[in-house]
Formats: sequence, structure tokens, C-alpha cells
Amino acid sequence: MKLLEYQAHQLFAEFHLPAREGSVVSSMEELEGLASTYRCYPAVLKAQVPTGGRGKAGGVKIVNNAQELLEKGKAIFNLTISGYPVKQVFIYSFLEIRQEMYLSIMMNRSSKQPVLIFCAEGGMEINEIALKNPDKIIRLPILPDSGIQKFHVQYIADYSGIPEYADRLFDLISGLYTLFCERNCELAEINPLAISEEGNLVCLDGKIITDDNAIHKHPLFDYWRSEAETDPLILDARSWKFLYIPVSESGNIGVISNGSGMLMSSIDLIEQKGMKVSSVLDLGGGATAERICEAVRIMTQNPKTQLLFVNIFGGITRCDEVAQGIVEAVNRGYAPGKFVLRLEGTLKEEGVAIAGGLSVPVAFADNLVDGVTRIKEMFES
Amino acid sequence: MSILIDQSTRLLVQGITGREGRFHTEQMLEYGTNIVAGVTPGKGGMNIQGIPVYNTVQEAMRRHEVNASILFVPPYHMYNGAQEAILTGVPLVITIAEGVPVFDMFRLYHLARSRNVRLIGPNSFGIISPGKSKAGFMAHRIFSPGKVALLSRSATNAYEAVFNMTNQGIGQSTVIGVGGDMIAGSSFVDLLPLLESDNETEVIVLIGEIGGNEEELAAEYIAQHITKPVIAFIAGKNAPPNRSMGHAGAIVSPNGEGGAANKEKALKAAGVHIAETTYQISELAQQLLNR
Repeated sequence: MKLLEYQAHQLFAEFHLPAREGSVVSSMEELEGLASTYRCYPAVLKAQVPTGGRGKAGGVKIVNNAQELLEKGKAIFNLTISGYPVKQVFIYSFLEIRQEMYLSIMMNRSSKQPVLIFCAEGGMEINEIALKNPDKIIRLPILPDSGIQKFHVQYIADYSGIPEYADRLFDLISGLYTLFCERNCELAEINPLAISEEGNLVCLDGKIITDDNAIHKHPLFDYWRSEAETDPLILDARSWKFLYIPVSESGNIGVISNGSGMLMSSIDLIEQKGMKVSSVLDLGGGATAERICEAVRIMTQNPKTQLLFVNIFGGITRCDEVAQGIVEAVNRGYAPGKFVLRLEGTLKEEGVAIAGGLSVPVAFADNLVDGVTRIKEMFES
Repeated sequence: MSILIDQSTRLLVQGITGREGRFHTEQMLEYGTNIVAGVTPGKGGMNIQGIPVYNTVQEAMRRHEVNASILFVPPYHMYNGAQEAILTGVPLVITIAEGVPVFDMFRLYHLARSRNVRLIGPNSFGIISPGKSKAGFMAHRIFSPGKVALLSRSATNAYEAVFNMTNQGIGQSTVIGVGGDMIAGSSFVDLLPLLESDNETEVIVLIGEIGGNEEELAAEYIAQHITKPVIAFIAGKNAPPNRSMGHAGAIVSPNGEGGAANKEKALKAAGVHIAETTYQISELAQQLLNR
């Protein structure tokens, strides 16, 4: 999950990094309330959206008084940046700075370890820095036993021409690494990491991506994730431990399966045949009748879905349970126009017999390829 | 032959007293796997299906000649369990849990390397050498002994491919779930050398998917070191971008990194046969076996 900037600052502060202290407002009313007492001008207003390019989109403004705060705040609240409507604005006092640098720790998939990246020039995306100043970038792979050592940071400070900052930089980088480890981050980036006119290190912007596999270790992240999620079907599915993924706005086929791999292959094959998938649902484990019924209910809430392809194959799946779950959902009024069922596992005949009695059109398939052929037939008939 | 597990495997089951552990111990025994011991802290002295249970891996190792361990433990406990097995000296550790934090795998990966332990998974169905032994939760009735080895990042795609193969009379030497997470204990390149030197394996199948660069690295390795024919299937060509597809590792970044097209291109350039569907894997395997 990608955290918002103010959430990153909150974590920085918790780990004693020099974060910006600021305020977050979630509506114009809250902004008006803040404007009546705010005294720290000039101030910076920043749209809180989980994407880059905020500055270019007009989502970052400097204001000098309450009137500007309200005017520019309102303009920012009206923005939609890369598809994300602005729901929160972060405000902190403007700071004169001397130098902008780049610092991040990210989990490197290929080398299977975190890598620290530092550059004495920052403020732009790391890709741009890499193009402009490849020689100034320092990449430091981190091993589990050694972590970040003082000599690492001394080298970084010397190489970057700021040897007098070695100690302060060490504290800051150690803190960032502790945050990275303890909060299960995939990326913890401070960009820019600034040196203020007074000569202090300051985190001016933060980007943190956390590991979804570890989300249940961190209730706050779980809360932030639900707060940010706007699709009620994703939340509904999550409460049943399903994974619901919207696929295409123009799709009309829903797919339920018990594995991500199978879902990906289903989407590929359906699109190969010139049809489109609206959404998919991964059941995870346990294809009980109750869970199947709930999965069908959630999938039929997507009004675009006209056909539901249920493809559950684990070898030990009970087909009668799957069929009963579907019948139950249809009886409760949760039914798309048509069903294609791939029942494979134990008690296959019983399952086919039960689902054969459905009041809506249903076709049976023997495997994935066959299932997609049946889907095409059903739409053509 | 076959690789990693066979009749000589003496398996330890960590988490043997849990619901999953019990059920799959029964299933593995039914398949003929030689399970010698189980471990659940605090449950030492119990018996599960006639298998003695110990509190620690060390105690189990002292009493039995364990040479592989499989962990049926929840994702947040996987780190401790796998660490115990690695530090106690089990040479092959198989982790299946889905939802293991990346940071835990980072630590385990490097620990296993430093101890020369082969780590498989997580988010994997395990390993099966059909007709000989299985260490995993796969439904074994769809597998059959033969000459095609299969490595897969996805369980369901592997099942689909194997089910088709078995129905077409094409058997398998060893089938391994490398797992769908960001960091795998062993990836394609780590396992390919074993398959190249396995005299029972004649054709190698890789089931990859979007995300990461394991397929690209495999292509590089295949071009230089693999003489046996290789078939690859890549899932997720039409997955919506920038959205994790359930497997933590299966995500294409907005700039197209980790996309299927790159992977297929690299594999093709390395002389790998590309299957468009899991079904087509069987057709290609049949042609290559007949050659």
C-alpha cells in the first residue's frame, strides 16, 4: 500500500526523523477552521494523493495569508490528480533551503535485499536523477546481519561533499532503516531530504510503500487502507477474506476462482477470444457453499457483469458444495444473466446435477479453455 | 531420479498438530511420503497418524534422520519455524504459507544461503516427484510419473497444466511450486541446473507470470547452460496495470516493467518454446518428447 505524504511524515516523526510538523484537513470546513487561527506564513499546501506529479498538476501551492490559504486550498480540493480526487490537504510552514538531496531504502527484488540509495541532488524523481547525475548516485545493498553501519554513512557524506553531516546523516539513515524494518516497508523515500538555511537536515516530502502481506501486523495501516478504499465491493470482499479486483470498465464477464494464477490465465484467455472481463474474485482457500454464495453475491453487485464464470479447481474441491453455494445465491436473488461452471474435484456428478437445476442459463466446462469456449457460445446463442 | 525429493526423503512436518498440518500429513502418508517426525512447540509427545511429535526441530533431528522439512504454519510464524529448521541443519526447507512478509523472506533467504540450505517457497504448493514422494498440499491424483519437469509461480496454473498433461498421458518427473511472492527461497535459475542434470527429466516447463525478472534471468541461464528443451507459459498478459493480482509478486509497474511481453521475448530469444495457454503446454511437451 502506498501511504499518503502526511502519513509518511507521521511515521518519520515517530522514528525521530526531522519530519515537517503540519496539519491535515479533509474538507473546506476544516480548512476554514484552520485558516482562522493559522499564523505560520508563508505556508505550503499539498494535495494528498497516492501518486507523483502533484506539483505539475497544481496540487502544491505556497500561500502568504489566510485569504490565499482558502482560495488555493479550494482549488486543490477541486483537483483530480491521475484519477485520484483530492480528499485531504497537508499544510506546513514554508522553509528556506540550501540544498535538496535524495534518500531512499527500497526492497530490491532481484538481489533480494534492501538497497539504500543516496544522491546529493534531489527534488526530482529518482529516474530523472539517474539520467542527469548518474555519478552522484550511491547505491548500497544492505545485508540482514550488518544493517547500516557508521562507515557506510561516512562514505556517503564524504562522497557527497557534506562530511560535516556524517553524524546527523547516520542518525537519520539509521532511523529510516529501523522504520523500514519495523513497519514492513517496500519503499521508504525522503525526497527531497533538504539542508535548511540554518543548516539542519529536514524531510520535506515522504513516500512510503508498505508490504500488504504484513498489513495485519500494523492496525494503523489497515485503517488507512480501508479509509482510502472507495470501492465498496473491494471492502465487502475483504471482509470475507476474498480478493476482488475490478479489471475493465467495458467488460461484462465476471470470473471467480481459487487462485491468482488461474484468474490471470482466465483474463488472458477471455481477452484472447475478443471478450472482456469486468472483474475477478479470488476465493483464497475453502470453497464452502456459504463462501461460494457470498462470492457470487459480491460479483453480481457489479452491474456490468452479465455472465459469471466459476472456475474452481484444487483437486480436492467438493463440487456439490460449490454447486449448492451457487444455487443458494440464485435463490436469494443474486444471479447474473448466465453461468459457466467448471466443476473439477470430488463428487463432480452430484455438483452437475445440483447446478443443472438452476433457473438461469448454465453451461458446464471441463477445463479453462473449454470454459472460455462455452462463454463465447453463451453470448452468441 | 527426479530432483529434491524421492523415496529417500525423510520428511519432518512442522506444524503437524494444526488443522492443515494434520490433514496434509494424512494425505502425504497416503501418497507414500516417508514422514519420520513432526514438530509443534508445546505438543511434544503426541502422535499424529502414528508420527511422533516433538517440541523442537533439534529433538526431532536427534531421534530421526530428517533430510527435509515442510512447514504448515501461519504466515506470521513462518519466519521462526523456518529459521529453526535452517539453523538446526535441515538441508531442504519447504514453506507453503501465503502472506509471509517480504522482510521475513529477506532475512530467511540470506540465512538459508549462508547455511547452504535449499529453501522453497513461500506461497507455494510444495514439491512432488510423482509416484515417489510429495511434500506439499497439491491434490496428488492429477499427477503421474514421467519425464516432464515443471516449475511454477502459480499453484492453480500448475494444476491446470499438470491435469491436462496427465489426461494426455504425459507424466512428470518433479513438479515444484517456486511460489508467487516477491522473494522466493529458490527461483527458476536456482532450480534449472538440477533439472539439467536429472537423467529422468527430458523436457522442462516453466510457468511464470507478470512481475519481477525471474523469467528474464531464467532465459539468460537457459541460453548459456540448458541443453534440454524448455517450454514456458506466462500468465497475466491482460492483467490491469499497477494492481497486485493477488500474488504479492505479480504486479506490472506503470512503466511496463515486469510485463509479460518482455518475458516472452527474452525466453523466445533463448530458444524456449512459448505456450499460449496452459493447455498448449501438453501439445508442445508431446512434440518435444517425440523428437
